[in-house]
Amino acid sequence: MQQPGADTWYMPDGLQVDALLSALAAEFGLDIAPEYAATVVYTDTFDWRLYQQGYLLHCHGQSWTLYHGDSGEVTVQQGGPELATSCFARDFPPGQLRELLEPLLGVRCLLPLATVSLSGRQIRLLNRDEKTVARIVVETQQPAGKGPAFRLVRLFGIRGYDHEQARVRRLLEHNAVHETASPLIGFEEGCRTMGRRPLDYSSKFVLELDGAGTARQTMARIYLALLDNITRNIPGVLADWDSEFLHDLRVAIRRTRSGLSLVKKVLPEAVVNRFSREFGRLGTLTGPTRDLDVYLLNREEYLNRLPPALRPGLDGFFVELGRRRLVEQKKLVRALRSKKSRAVLAAWQRVLRSRDRQPAPLAAIPATELGRKIILKRCKRVLRDGQALDAATPDAVVHRLRIQCKKLRYALEFFSALYPRQEMQILLRQLKKLQDILGSFNDLSVQQEMLRLTLRELRAGSRRNLELAAALGGLMQSLYREQQELRTHFTEAFDQFSDPETTALFHELFRKKQEAA
Amino acid sequence: MSIIAVYNIKGGVGKTAASVNLAYLSSQQQGKTLLLDMDPQGSASFYFRIRSPKKFGAKKLLKGGKHIEENIRGTDYPGLDMLPADFSYRNIDIALDECKKSHKRLGKVLEPLHQEYDRIILDCPPNLTLLSENIFYAADCILAPVIPTTLSLLSLEQLFSFLEEIGQGRDKVLIFFSMVEKRKKMHAEMMRSMREESGVLQAVIPYSADIERMGIYRQPVVAALPGSTAATAYESLWHEIQNRLPA
Repeated sequence: MQQPGADTWYMPDGLQVDALLSALAAEFGLDIAPEYAATVVYTDTFDWRLYQQGYLLHCHGQSWTLYHGDSGEVTVQQGGPELATSCFARDFPPGQLRELLEPLLGVRCLLPLATVSLSGRQIRLLNRDEKTVARIVVETQQPAGKGPAFRLVRLFGIRGYDHEQARVRRLLEHNAVHETASPLIGFEEGCRTMGRRPLDYSSKFVLELDGAGTARQTMARIYLALLDNITRNIPGVLADWDSEFLHDLRVAIRRTRSGLSLVKKVLPEAVVNRFSREFGRLGTLTGPTRDLDVYLLNREEYLNRLPPALRPGLDGFFVELGRRRLVEQKKLVRALRSKKSRAVLAAWQRVLRSRDRQPAPLAAIPATELGRKIILKRCKRVLRDGQALDAATPDAVVHRLRIQCKKLRYALEFFSALYPRQEMQILLRQLKKLQDILGSFNDLSVQQEMLRLTLRELRAGSRRNLELAAALGGLMQSLYREQQELRTHFTEAFDQFSDPETTALFHELFRKKQEAA
Repeated sequence: MSIIAVYNIKGGVGKTAASVNLAYLSSQQQGKTLLLDMDPQGSASFYFRIRSPKKFGAKKLLKGGKHIEENIRGTDYPGLDMLPADFSYRNIDIALDECKKSHKRLGKVLEPLHQEYDRIILDCPPNLTLLSENIFYAADCILAPVIPTTLSLLSLEQLFSFLEEIGQGRDKVLIFFSMVEKRKKMHAEMMRSMREESGVLQAVIPYSADIERMGIYRQPVVAALPGSTAATAYESLWHEIQNRLPA
């Protein structure tokens, strides 16, 4: 038997708390706790990492409470930082709350979502032995702003006292307490006034597509979804809340560019050319800050690669990276705020929403046909280029294959809603394994190159530069060794991807179906 | 998940008071806890103001499964449930005797509860019977309150030889001194002579009016009078037990 959960209803407008209590007092002893009142700020990451796991977190000054949304059971209550605009898990003092938050939040920061004033009373309902047989909470939730206050009645049952609980329900019913409510109504409405809705953002590309749509309609939907992603991340990039805003922004830009280069003749050529150029520019101007973010996020990992004696040599290096990031971030903010950038995004939206004066040759073909063609083409390329992959393949060639894989990945993700879900997941999973190894290999390659450039520009002569050079040398050695180690897994990773079952699945899903034609 | 049995052959040594308070502390600190009142007198049930369900008794207990699940009651404290005792437990040995593998039956019926609870605490009746044997098999730890007097020590010896007889080691047993009176010279001397022995806990529960009055206010003393001498004593006892339990 499950522990009975909480039930929540709206308190009818005409019903006063005292009237409800005296109705309950006719059948139960009452133990009424003193009234509580607090204004709390609900908080989560931009992509709802806590909510996704069923958690709600709110703070009231420096006191923080983490609890489960469904049961309302408090997990931890602890002191923490004052939440002004944003804060990270590392800003919390060591303790249980921080230990719980760190893996959940990762590199993302907490942002205030909704401010709600809560006030109410808890009432224990007692039997003749003065044993608690149920709990009632009468609570008013008032989201900040001009919205209405919500008056709620919540019932918490106690195991083994089902009869008593049924009697409480009858009493509530008699007093017109029967319209069920979400116990989180204040939170939900508070989010709404801030323009948010739980789970309204995810960095994953998920899009429902209409299988009967044309290529033009479908591509417009895909591009608009990506554009929405771009515009929603911009405020976070400008405010520099955490590094994921820029990362997600760049991924959405890259997906858009990939779409423009993969899918030809669906939008007019002039449009494709213009926006390929424009999104290319946006991609470039967001690059330097992201590169620096990656090195700064890797700080711990870099230090761990070095013997302790060499570690202090990197101190100045990271200080310098931090300084350069400030400069680049400023440039990035200026560029994103510029009239030009804003105009490009507005123009892109207009183009996608309006009808082409001269439709492109493939605009009217069915979306499934378009997806099929593109995915099959990308797949063939990966299979062809991948054949040549072995432990001795030059870095540049590995890099090219990585790009091919990325294009296939984006193509699969764009159109995934048009094909059987389970099969698409298998293909994506296989591809992802190959991508992971190629991606790590490339990261190691790029990092070594960056360290090489830093080393080249280092002037000889000072003690500090000497120590830095030694540390850089140590790092390059460690990165190089790991990269060489990855090479030995290339063939195996590609064989897994190109095994007969996976290729058969690709053909089955995306081969031209002549019999059907 | 671990099972603690609070047990002594002798009655009136503070078993139930310990069970109730430790169960409360366990639910506060270690997660969901179930207190099983095995004593037909039902004192633990009384402390939590829980009456024995109408259609429940020794036979239902030994059937296990839904017969147990349906009769578990939530206490006034979140995370602490209890299975109240029934007067029919006084004849539980007869019922046990009819079961197959009669000395391991209790452990068997408790098994499904390991999923739901992080800890189970058994408040045991004072005797040495087939039920006791069942309890010793099922428990990971036998917690024995002992009043530092000669007779109490004698009952401990009886416990140890019984454990030996049924092939259970004495290392399962943790002993703590209960109802200790500071002004009694014999208490101090007895404790001094035993303190160093293995399995003897250092925390001591004093003889206390606050504990005696639990029957009046019907709450664990730790919940009703936090910070009192008695409450602090149970807390340090619980802390010590925690460190001794297998993880």
